[in-house]
Amino acid sequence: MPSASDPSSTTTIRRPTVTVARAGRVVLLVVLVAAVVSFPSLAPNPYILSAGILVLNYALLSTSWNFVGGFTGYISLGHGALAGLGAYGTGLLVTRAGLPSFLALGVAALVVAALAVPIGYAALRVRGASFVIVSIALVLVLLLVFQSWASFTGGSRGLTVPRPFPDLLRPEHHRVFWFLFAGLLALALLVWWLIDRSRFGLGLKAIREDEDKAESLGIPTFAYKLVVFVVSAGFTAAAGGLYALWFGDLDPVFQFSILTGSYLVLMALLGGVRTLFGPLLGALVVGTALEYFKVEYGGTPLHLVATGLLLALVVLFMPDGVLPAVAAMLDRFRPAQQSIREVTAAELREQRESGVRAETELAATRPGTPSTRERA
Amino acid sequence: MTDQALRTEGLTKAFGGVVALDGAGVAFRHGQVNALIGPNGSGKTTFFNCVTGMIRADSGRTVYRGRDITRATPHAVAHAGIGRTFQLCRVFPRMSALDNVLAAVRPGGVLGRLRGARGRAEVDRARGWLTRLGIEHLVDVEARNMSWGQQKLLELAGVLMSDPETVLLDEPAGGVNPALLDRIGGLVRELNAEGRTFVIVEHNMDLVMSISDHIVVFDRGRPIAEGPPSVIRSDERVLGAYLGV
Ligand SMILES: Nc1ncnc2c1ncn2[C@@H]1O[C@H](COP(=O)(O)OP(=O)(O)O)[C@@H](O)[C@H]1O
Ligand SMILES: [Mg+2]
Repeated sequence: MPSASDPSSTTTIRRPTVTVARAGRVVLLVVLVAAVVSFPSLAPNPYILSAGILVLNYALLSTSWNFVGGFTGYISLGHGALAGLGAYGTGLLVTRAGLPSFLALGVAALVVAALAVPIGYAALRVRGASFVIVSIALVLVLLLVFQSWASFTGGSRGLTVPRPFPDLLRPEHHRVFWFLFAGLLALALLVWWLIDRSRFGLGLKAIREDEDKAESLGIPTFAYKLVVFVVSAGFTAAAGGLYALWFGDLDPVFQFSILTGSYLVLMALLGGVRTLFGPLLGALVVGTALEYFKVEYGGTPLHLVATGLLLALVVLFMPDGVLPAVAAMLDRFRPAQQSIREVTAAELREQRESGVRAETELAATRPGTPSTRERA
Repeated sequence: MTDQALRTEGLTKAFGGVVALDGAGVAFRHGQVNALIGPNGSGKTTFFNCVTGMIRADSGRTVYRGRDITRATPHAVAHAGIGRTFQLCRVFPRMSALDNVLAAVRPGGVLGRLRGARGRAEVDRARGWLTRLGIEHLVDVEARNMSWGQQKLLELAGVLMSDPETVLLDEPAGGVNPALLDRIGGLVRELNAEGRTFVIVEHNMDLVMSISDHIVVFDRGRPIAEGPPSVIRSDERVLGAYLGV
């Protein structure tokens, strides 16, 4: 049984860092919200604003991707296709079924979420590299379908989606969509945060760590993966739908591209898949770089080379992403802070006890090296 | 008369040409400390894997407390009341000790799953298990930064957090020092006195003989003897299979 003093003494040790971290998070959030709200007025011209919307779109997509990638560790390169389905679904529901734009978006997101059940049912049975390959196959199959079924989808000529606010001038149009994207991103972040702190989220993280072990502890791993995949698909499709309504022009080659999926993975990995704002930060860096390269070097494939290089660098040197790497760096300054801080008697006792115990433990359990632990 | 906790009939599993389980029919007793011993490669771990649904047996049946669990998924077996540890000790390496233990909480229903993972009652219970296993000072330490012995204790804490009626331990004393070994042995007896059934695969004969009520001996994928420690100790077939006499 835990004694009354036991949990409290540990809390004493943690409190200062926790408060600092929390304060830091609040400040970050305020800055983020302020930046989002003021950007449309600060943007010098509609072009910059529309580039900003593209970055926001990437942030939304990679945050949506991170429901699967971050929690369960399943790396999907197929999320571009889910966004494409959402975009085409929205576009077709507006043009063919005559639905109001935002109702079409909602319906399309729900339909893709429903489609994600059989897709996930098939794809989530395989792990690791096999899952990556299955997710790539999804993109290729959908690209073929949407390119060849021309009578319905517009084929490779693409699909034109009417604007939801025909009266708005172009800058106003961008402005409205900036806030729509920001709103959807906020919702995605909120849901990710809620899952992160829930029992469901802890189960998902257990899957990422060791799926068989999680299952043996009683976690219904397949159902968990499927549910979070459906949530992820729903947000991804909604992002695609919003893009369709904003951009108004869909091209299957761009919508169903492995490249889009790879960008999302790169962004999330760069920022850090275990953190709420990691994908957002990654999208900020990579998305801005992509737009910049597009302007500077236009149609050359140089931006592909740059992206590839960036991906390699991140995977090699910051496999946990930039945010965690920065956090680890800040961690190094922490002992100094601690030695200045006053230490309570309870902490001292705790530290001394745990230190001694850890040492005896360590000395005592050393014989258990991998060679002796396996079958003798 | 003790009733049965776990019973198998004709359990068979072959890996390619290797027959790991060969029609094994075993019965373990409810409320007791059972041991499953036998030479390396005699199929003990495979037996655990088949019983817990982690690998599917080629043929045969598993019954737990009167319920057929032959085709149950591992999480369903866990929900039926069977917890297990692994020979190679499996914990969640990049999670703190606390989260490792909290991950074993059974959330009730959809709403229960959406609740915060660090509810006060659960955290208290998790800390309770860490304390009982003597690793409460590691509560915020990631499992990958712990020693082998500490990881074994943490794995056990997680399994106990899921509150299993029956606990399968695969070589709990493997690679641990004598002091820790005593602690584990004492803990098993304590938990058994509190009503938990154990099935323990173990090579340390002193430990097996001192804590078990009932021993089943495996050789080449099937039981060759069973009985209380006093009988097993002097059984010729056991000596033959085990010690190569
Ligand atoms: N996953 C597996 N794949 C192939 N062979 C296996 C596997 N698991 C166990 N075996 C084989 O089955 C036999 C029994 O192994 P095991 O059940 O681990 O024995 P024990 O736990 O009694 O030492 C051994 O010959 C082993 O090599
Ligand atoms: Mg074994």
